[in-house]
Amino acid sequence: MCLGIPGKITAIRDDAGLTMGVVDFGGIRRDVCLQYVSDEVAIGDYVIVHVGFAITKMDEDEARRTFEVLREMSQLEELDWMADVADASLKDTEKRA
Amino acid sequence: MRYLAEYRDPAIAKALIDRITTRATRRWTLMEVCGGQTHTIVRQGIDEFLDSAVEMIHGPGCPVCVTPLEQIDKALAIAAQPNVIFTSFGDMLRVPGSDCDLQQVRARGGDVKVVYSPLDALALARKHPEREVVFFAVGFETTAPANAMAVWRARELGVRNFSVLVSHVTVPPAITAILEAPDNRVQGFLAAGHVCAVMGYTEYEPIAARYRVPIIVTGFEPVDILEGIAMAVAQLEEGRHEVENQYVRSVRRLGTEPARALVAQVFELTDRPWRGIGTIPMSGLRLRDEFSAYDAERKFGVEGLRVTEPADCRAGDVLTGRIKPPQCTAFGTRCTPEHPLGAPMVSSEGACSAYFNLAKYRRGEGAEVGA
Ligand code: SF4
Repeated sequence: MCLGIPGKITAIRDDAGLTMGVVDFGGIRRDVCLQYVSDEVAIGDYVIVHVGFAITKMDEDEARRTFEVLREMSQLEELDWMADVADASLKDTEKRA
Repeated sequence: MRYLAEYRDPAIAKALIDRITTRATRRWTLMEVCGGQTHTIVRQGIDEFLDSAVEMIHGPGCPVCVTPLEQIDKALAIAAQPNVIFTSFGDMLRVPGSDCDLQQVRARGGDVKVVYSPLDALALARKHPEREVVFFAVGFETTAPANAMAVWRARELGVRNFSVLVSHVTVPPAITAILEAPDNRVQGFLAAGHVCAVMGYTEYEPIAARYRVPIIVTGFEPVDILEGIAMAVAQLEEGRHEVENQYVRSVRRLGTEPARALVAQVFELTDRPWRGIGTIPMSGLRLRDEFSAYDAERKFGVEGLRVTEPADCRAGDVLTGRIKPPQCTAFGTRCTPEHPLGAPMVSSEGACSAYFNLAKYRRGEGAEVGA
């Protein structure tokens, strides 16, 4: 029950004073209570849903930013690694020379 | 969202693993609090990739696992009553009580229904005004807003045949209890991202300062978990002990304030026993007095029920990180997902079931991260 699942809001409606909506989870659509995030979401936004309730809005810009920082880091480490390999083979060549 | 699948990127995971293992000058001991994270860690083999740098201890963050036996027995007693429709999240159905589980109550004629959301239980109550509909309100801070709303809505709509059996627990007191234990080995925590999505993380700041432990608010994808571990190791290496937020895309410092507000209006703090661990002061939620008409314990007169836990299940030691599941002598023999002795073997988020399923995963797709 504790797993939160991110999904995209495709519809928002008022149900006798409660903000409800439809959220698409990779093709599967469910009715979700949007009351707790109603001030900050619009159709097309992403939310994390727990047991039928959106508990927080997901910030797409933040997701992209974090990912890009991580990707940059992983490429840097790849470069480091290539430099290490190049270094090692250089030393090898020197030894043999 | 384009940037969801990317959090499983093996190249980034590999880089993070390298960063952690080169950064660590000694082996650090960290605890991930949340059962969902435990499953990702065990399934992806993250603990094995990091073994030289970090020991991961699995924490008590599985709501099914820590729901005390007496609450299960109360559920069983209520569910067996003739006019009751007993509703619950699916994962509670096979948690063993003192002498049976909810599934067996159903087989004997009890009306036990699985619902996806507590609002579904409320809808059932409106549809069947002649029956008493009870919802088993378990979970951490992630499910509390949903359960609070169901009670609030029931009062707003004047629904009288709806009540909740509350067994809510909260994370910060559990972290404190672990740190207070004389044999504690945990040096840093990954705090559960979605708990903090609701509650924010201000409650963790005094804990980090007082016990001098880094606490990293962490998401659920493999890359999130590795980044959380990297942040914790960096703090430990530098002698820092702060609350840091890895899961910025979903968590703000103050959480989701309307959700916190309604939880505080409907519930109040109470002492709560944790299965296998014992009572942790002010670690649970109960209904406030003005909502007592919705309290299933009062409605069905089961408030006084007290039971003692069986000795052969070592769930308490597993849930506090004293042993790993395979060290329990019942593991995989007397205790399996088909015939569980304790809740950590039943729940999809339980540490025992995570280890039991490991062999299956390895035969299937194998460990993906950093491989
Ligand atoms: S393996 Fe079974 S009996 Fe042992 S601690 Fe886990 S749930 Fe309890």
